[in-house]
Amino acid sequence: MECPQQNDAGVELIIAYAARTLDPANEAAFERHLEVCASCREMAAAQRTVWSALDELTPLPVSSNFDAKLYQRIAEEQQYTWWQRLFGANWSWRPAMPVAAACAVLIVALLVKNSGPTVVPQTQSQPNLQIEQVERALDDMDMLKQMGEAALEKSTPQERI
Amino acid sequence: MNPEGVNPPAAQPSWTERVNSDRAAEVSLERDAELMLRVREGDQASFGFLLDRHRSPVIHFLYRMVQNQGVAEELAQEVFLRVYKSRSSYEPTAKFTTWLFRIASHLALNWIRDGRNEKRQASLDEESPDGTAKQVPDRSRSVEQELIYQVKLREVRQAIESLPAKQKAAVMMHKYQEMEYSQIADVLSCSESAVKSLLFRAYESLRMRLAHMA
Repeated sequence: MECPQQNDAGVELIIAYAARTLDPANEAAFERHLEVCASCREMAAAQRTVWSALDELTPLPVSSNFDAKLYQRIAEEQQYTWWQRLFGANWSWRPAMPVAAACAVLIVALLVKNSGPTVVPQTQSQPNLQIEQVERALDDMDMLKQMGEAALEKSTPQERI
Repeated sequence: MNPEGVNPPAAQPSWTERVNSDRAAEVSLERDAELMLRVREGDQASFGFLLDRHRSPVIHFLYRMVQNQGVAEELAQEVFLRVYKSRSSYEPTAKFTTWLFRIASHLALNWIRDGRNEKRQASLDEESPDGTAKQVPDRSRSVEQELIYQVKLREVRQAIESLPAKQKAAVMMHKYQEMEYSQIADVLSCSESAVKSLLFRAYESLRMRLAHMA
C-alpha cells in the first residue's frame, strides 16, 4: 500500500481510520501499512487521542421545562397580529423615537419652506390696461385745453378784461 | 490485527454497525420529512414528534459550539421556533436534519461572531471560571481522578474553543452528529473540498494541542 500521506486523501484516510468509518477491507490494508510506516502510525495515534479526548465532552441533560417554554413561545407567536409580526415580537417604540423625531423635524422644515408669501402672478392684460387709461386721460386733458382756447376766441375784448 | 500503540477505541461503532445505522437513518429521514409535511398541514402532534427526535442532538450541538448550557437551550428554542414558523413554506428538497442544523449552526456562528460569548462568560464568572457549566461529578471516580478528569475536560474545551468558529462547527457535526462531508457542506453552504480543508486544519490544531494526552 502506498503511504497515504503521499497523496491528498491521506489525512482523510487517517481521520476515517480513527473514527472507525473505514470499511473492513480498507481498515485491514491500512493497519498493514501502519506496521511499516512510523509517520502514519504517529499521526493515527495522535488522531485517535483527539477522537478519545472529544468523547470526554459529554453534554448536560436538557432542562425539564424546555418543551413548555418552547410551546409558550409558539402560543405567543400565534397571538400576534400581522403588523406585530411584521415589526417583530420584541419590537419597541423606544429605539424608534429618535428616527420618528427626525422625520417630524424634516416634514415641518419642508412645510415651512413651502409656505412663504403667496405671489399672485400678474396677468398680461394689466400693463395694457394701465397704458390705455393714461392715454385716455391725456386725450381728455387735450380736449379740455382745446375747449378752453375756443371759448376764449369767441369772447369780446371787454369780456376778456 | 492492530499495530502497537494504535488500538481502535472500543466505544466507537464498527463499520458494520455504522452501515446498519445509516440504513436506519435513511428511514428516519423520510419520516422527518413526512412529519414536517404533516406539521405544514397543521398537525401539532407531528411537531411534538420532531421535537422529541431532534431536541437533544440540537441542544448538544449548540452546547459544544457555545460551551454554555443556558445559551445552548436559548438558541435551541429559537431553532425550533423558526422551524415551526416556516412550516408553511417547507418543501422536502433537502434532508430535514440538514435544514435543522443549518439553522442551528447559523445561530451559533452569529452568536459567536457577535461576541456575545465573551459578555456571557463575563457575566457567568461566578458560576464557573471559564463560563461553562460544570460537568456533574462521577461518583465512581475518586477525588483525585475527578480532579484529573476536570483538568482534562478543561483542556479539551479550551482546545475546541481555540478553533475558528466554522472549523469548530465542522468538527462538531463530523464527530458528534456523524455527518458525511457532503452533508456538512450543505449545512455550512460551502463545497465538500472546503469542508475537508476545514476539518483537516481543525484536527491538525487539535492533534497539536491535545498531543500530551496520549
